[in-house]
Amino acid sequence: MSEEKNELLAEISEVLETVVNRRVELRTDMNIVNDLGLDSIAVMNFCMALEDKFDISIPLHDMASVVTVDDLAKTIQALRSNA
Amino acid sequence: MSIFGKFAALGARYDRLKQSGADPFSVRFDDILSSVEGVVRGKKTLLFGTNNYLGLTFDQVAMEQSADAIRHHGTGTTGSRIANGSYKVHAELERELADFYRRKHCMVFSTGYQANLGMISTLVGKDDHLFLDADSHASIYDGSRLGHAPVVRFRHNNPDDLAKRLRRLADQPGDRLIVVEGIYSMLGDTAPLKEFVDVKREYGAYLMVDEAHSMGVLGRDGRGLAEREGVEDDVDFVVGTFSKSLASVGGFCVSSLEGFEILRLASRPYMFTASLPPSIMSSTISALKTLRREPERRTKLAANSRRFYNGLRAAGFDVGPECTPIVAVIIDNPDVAVAFWKRLLDEGMYLNLALPPATPNSSAFLRSSVSAAHSDEHIDFAINLMTRIGREFGLLPAETNVRPFPVSAERLGATAATARVLPTAVGAGAGMA
Repeated sequence: MSEEKNELLAEISEVLETVVNRRVELRTDMNIVNDLGLDSIAVMNFCMALEDKFDISIPLHDMASVVTVDDLAKTIQALRSNA
Repeated sequence: MSIFGKFAALGARYDRLKQSGADPFSVRFDDILSSVEGVVRGKKTLLFGTNNYLGLTFDQVAMEQSADAIRHHGTGTTGSRIANGSYKVHAELERELADFYRRKHCMVFSTGYQANLGMISTLVGKDDHLFLDADSHASIYDGSRLGHAPVVRFRHNNPDDLAKRLRRLADQPGDRLIVVEGIYSMLGDTAPLKEFVDVKREYGAYLMVDEAHSMGVLGRDGRGLAEREGVEDDVDFVVGTFSKSLASVGGFCVSSLEGFEILRLASRPYMFTASLPPSIMSSTISALKTLRREPERRTKLAANSRRFYNGLRAAGFDVGPECTPIVAVIIDNPDVAVAFWKRLLDEGMYLNLALPPATPNSSAFLRSSVSAAHSDEHIDFAINLMTRIGREFGLLPAETNVRPFPVSAERLGATAATARVLPTAVGAGAGMA
């Protein structure tokens, strides 16, 4: 895994911790809903926090197609490069 | 595994709730005696969870006009307006609402839920953007899912946060629609509408305000938050419901924008639903006339809200940040809230129990809605009962240890913190009612 991606994952876990108020060890293959135990509202709040962290816009339907942490990282990378 | 297997986790949570001896989702009223009294398990019960703000469900004139409409026009329209045609009373109801809101156009929907579904899913398309307050009602979220526009959520009641999100999409083509509510149904807080209007203007967006809980409640003439804040000209669409202040069922949208009428042929939740029965529309027209003719109901409602809100706050409860007819007592532990709710019902008071995830911050709310039909005695009974149970449950200090009123600034700060970005206790007045 590239250093850039590691850094991104670290940033994502930082954001996630502010949403769930606990320490989280992220792996790329993790399922965001099942493995992280996020309900639909927590996912939407996570999305909002990610938007602010990376100064991007993640419309909710983009979030709907995100299943794993890796999907999320790719989505953020794509949105950042479009910005 | 059956087709219902996917609901296993939900079912388990519901079972756990029922095991605690309370089932807030299947309360049955043996009878309804008035706008504010019912019978539950043979016991006369005071109703504090009805959204019956003006107390018009038993209005004599409305009931007679409704019965008359059934005798003359039958029990139902048996179809949609585009297929089966409209009755005179559909047009009359739309005219009355447009006149009340001083707007050119009105569309009536079969429920308030469908009004949001029909408007939000249709107004913005895939090349537009939809901006929703994070604490929006389910009907607003569902409208956003039925439509094709990308959806962006902003932090509750936070115009700066909305502006930031609009800015990120500033170079994108298409229209922008912002949706906020007059009074939020869980905590009873109002939107900072003037500030939202500033943002809307700056970014050239359209603004829709859902006045479901504020129609008949706020504003000198009862048109809601936009009237109270003096920004009606900047609100492009007002949606609302007949199932609260107007004491029936149905929903509407009013607007003065050119071209509005085409929505009758574009909005699927409008087109493919049976239209309201004549009896419902007749009582709704009657209730709207009463709402306009009797502003004293609004005055009484405001006084009742203050009495209840201030009474609960003075007793030491954590209440919502603003005094409106929706008065929520915030209880951190949902299990305690369930037990509290059950005790209230056992002792003759019904209110709504709001549990996570329907509530912000994983807390639970004992959510009351005050009515103009409540008497001072009803409200005092409710305050005293809730205070007694609150002490018994250890949520409030024992009577002998009660601190002098009003409650400390620190305590108010705690309430505001629970409610996040909201202003502190606006309009709460001082001391006990």
